[in-house]
Amino acid sequence: MTHWITRRAALTGLGCACCAGLAASPAEARIRPADMRPLVGPGYRPTEQDEQGLWHEYERFEEEIAGSNLLIQDQRLASYLGGVVERVGGPAAGELRVYLAHVPEFNAFMTPTGFMVVFSGLLTRMRDEAQLSGVLAHEAGHFLRRHHIRRWRDLKRRTDFFTILAMGAGLGGAATGAYLGDWVRLAGIGTELTLAAYSRELEAEADAMGVRLIAESGYDPTAMPAVWRQLIGELDASAAMRRRHRRNQSLLATHPAPESRMHDLTISAEEVKDAGRTYDRGRDRYLAAIQPHRQRLLDDQVKLNDPGASLYIIHSLAEDGWNGLLRFYEGEAWRLRGRNGDRENANQSYALAVAFPDAPPEAWRAHGYALIGTGRPAEGRSALTRYLAMAPDAPDAAMVRYSLQQ
Amino acid sequence: MARLPLILVSAAALALGGCVQTRQYADVEFAPPQGDYDLVVMRPYVSVGVVTTGGLVEPRADWTEQARTNLLQALREQQAGRGGRTLVLENREGIQGVSPQDIANLERLFTAVGSSIVLHRYMGQYLPTKRRQGIDWTMGEDAVAFGRATGMEYALFLYAQDSFASTGRTAVQALGIVGCFIGFCAPQGGGGQGAYAALVDLRTGEVVWFNLLQTSSLLPGVRFGDIRTPEGAAQMVERLVGRMRAGRHVRERQGQ
Amino acid sequence: MAVNRILAALIALGLASGCAAGGGGFGPGGYSLVRPGPESVAGGRMTVTPTVAWNHARRTYHDIRREENWTLNGPLLDNISFIGGLESGKAIVRQRRRAERQVPRFRAEMSPPELASMIETFFRVRAGSVEFNMTGLQPRQFLGRPGFQFDYTHLDSDEVERQGRAVGAVIDNRFYLILFDAVRMHYYPAGIGEFERIAESARLG
Repeated sequence: MTHWITRRAALTGLGCACCAGLAASPAEARIRPADMRPLVGPGYRPTEQDEQGLWHEYERFEEEIAGSNLLIQDQRLASYLGGVVERVGGPAAGELRVYLAHVPEFNAFMTPTGFMVVFSGLLTRMRDEAQLSGVLAHEAGHFLRRHHIRRWRDLKRRTDFFTILAMGAGLGGAATGAYLGDWVRLAGIGTELTLAAYSRELEAEADAMGVRLIAESGYDPTAMPAVWRQLIGELDASAAMRRRHRRNQSLLATHPAPESRMHDLTISAEEVKDAGRTYDRGRDRYLAAIQPHRQRLLDDQVKLNDPGASLYIIHSLAEDGWNGLLRFYEGEAWRLRGRNGDRENANQSYALAVAFPDAPPEAWRAHGYALIGTGRPAEGRSALTRYLAMAPDAPDAAMVRYSLQQ
Repeated sequence: MARLPLILVSAAALALGGCVQTRQYADVEFAPPQGDYDLVVMRPYVSVGVVTTGGLVEPRADWTEQARTNLLQALREQQAGRGGRTLVLENREGIQGVSPQDIANLERLFTAVGSSIVLHRYMGQYLPTKRRQGIDWTMGEDAVAFGRATGMEYALFLYAQDSFASTGRTAVQALGIVGCFIGFCAPQGGGGQGAYAALVDLRTGEVVWFNLLQTSSLLPGVRFGDIRTPEGAAQMVERLVGRMRAGRHVRERQGQ
Repeated sequence: MAVNRILAALIALGLASGCAAGGGGFGPGGYSLVRPGPESVAGGRMTVTPTVAWNHARRTYHDIRREENWTLNGPLLDNISFIGGLESGKAIVRQRRRAERQVPRFRAEMSPPELASMIETFFRVRAGSVEFNMTGLQPRQFLGRPGFQFDYTHLDSDEVERQGRAVGAVIDNRFYLILFDAVRMHYYPAGIGEFERIAESARLG
């Protein structure tokens, strides 16, 4: 069970603090992609008792995941994700399964039996298929390097001496589990595996394995450090908007700091590149695959009212060109923040949004109320009328009609 | 996922204390099933592991399968003794006339209802409106529809976990107790069982009976019936569902 | 608003070991009995008349001063929240000023869709909802003034679908709200009638 980033773990704090004593390994040197050989081949099955027990639990867990109503049910998107995993999965390519959970977090995790869960918030942030493939290859790396059982055995060895720490971590696990409800809890076989979050060394291994896998399958390996650059930018923007410092998690975290991962991956990406080979970013394929979900993904993110992160994401997506959807959600992010001057920013974004032909009906509604609120009732009413024409069956149509009569 | 969170069960165990504990609650009008009836066990969850020296629980695939088979067999026999026929629902596709989606929704509803029962009956968050009402929660019309579609009269939700102390763990326990005599007392938990069973009357939709079982020992070497064996499994079934008591009103009427 | 179920469960866990102590009029579990009949709620800003008995939840750390929460079967299954006279600039939940994710503060000039959006954000940020859908927003008299009725459904991280109805109004720049939220199966239809009676009975003061 590994989490692609530890932001959530940092928020829940306790879980990490307790792991620190177990997970901290001094001064990590970069792991060379060339040293990362897959430890499992096609058709791998566990032969030892402890690993069999782990598999058995996770097989039942997969049954629960597969039947969960938190998954995004879209056969086309599922087969797209499956195709990317198959391309970067190395020797395990044929055996990896991907489930897409409807959770607006930048996260993904791998399990020892070869299924991974990708959170929809990941798709919100990826810019192209190469970036996505990097995350999936990182997760595949955990499977190929048998990280779960290695970590579990390491943990058993350590906890035999530090039983008190294990008890503390049980509490931490409970805190982490609070956010995702039963998922994290079941995923962790009670609380124990939550404690068994990977050490930073294993994360570095998965990064090195991942960057090698994507380069070998023809994706541009520099996409992996780019993901980290984006994440650092987002965390900084989020903190700045709330007038705080980004949490420094380097000492306590089970994952290396984003900066050091970005740094190592930048070097590794150059190392795995073959001179003369051309690498693919697959931007059009990626955009086409997520197009039907883009509005929902943005909606999920913006409504969390983390304006720094939301605006950062919107603005990076807008580097490929503004459209009505992005302008509308830019406005929503400002409106939800609601500090002095934000309403004016929001109104400006709504006005820009409705100038695009793809502006969603909600943009016209927001624009209409904005105009009415700034002393332009006639124009406001015509925007609201436009909203009703576009979405006559909207659930709030009765309210908007009432506003028109005022 | 639609299972009563483990966390609630284990926390309730804290509230209950150590050793063998069961505490059952019944609807005030509950009379234990008797005679000719059909009972469906909703995807029972069983897990058995070994407690390592450090106190982690490592799942054991072979023990789990053994225990599951034994428990369900023991349950079938126990119910047959009362005249009931038992159908074990192994997966959500496993029953005629009801879609997997409907089964999933019932399980999810039970997550919320079962957690509420544990919170408000076992963990001290008492609700004044339910004082002296025994178990007063329902699974509603959907449970009734499920009963009608399947011809079942009762649904049983069942969860059981068991763990056994490894040799190393037993030694740690022993040290902890010995320490008490020299002023450093740190008793350590060994293996232990945690289980719950909830009975839903599909004719009314009401949860009519709920039992929480917890066994644990701070003493090394003490065990409570090994559910990996048929005898131990029968013992757990007996503790969990065998001693079903009627509801308060029913008992009061019988007492008169 | 104290509809944060996951958190509520966790707080309950924390209380579980030493929860025997109770204060004020609350029983040992942190709930006190509300009998049918007129009842002053949310710090005396509103009076409502329930027709059945309810359980009044003790204020938790997450609650704001101007709110009150009742339940019939426990907060995981159903919940009714009262907010009485929230001042412009205040939020409907207690939160850290620098938290990355926040529920927008109420502003007196908010339009009804904005008030609905504020409630939606509460569910997404604080109550573990991964999906949230507005099913209706319409004008409705509340406390004798023009207000709104907001209907919605949401899917939470415990995989349970829930449904809710909020009735509210902005009166003299203050926000008044009664919100009912319950498990969609059985508990919402079972409780909505009583909610309607309570909402219709609501009076200022």
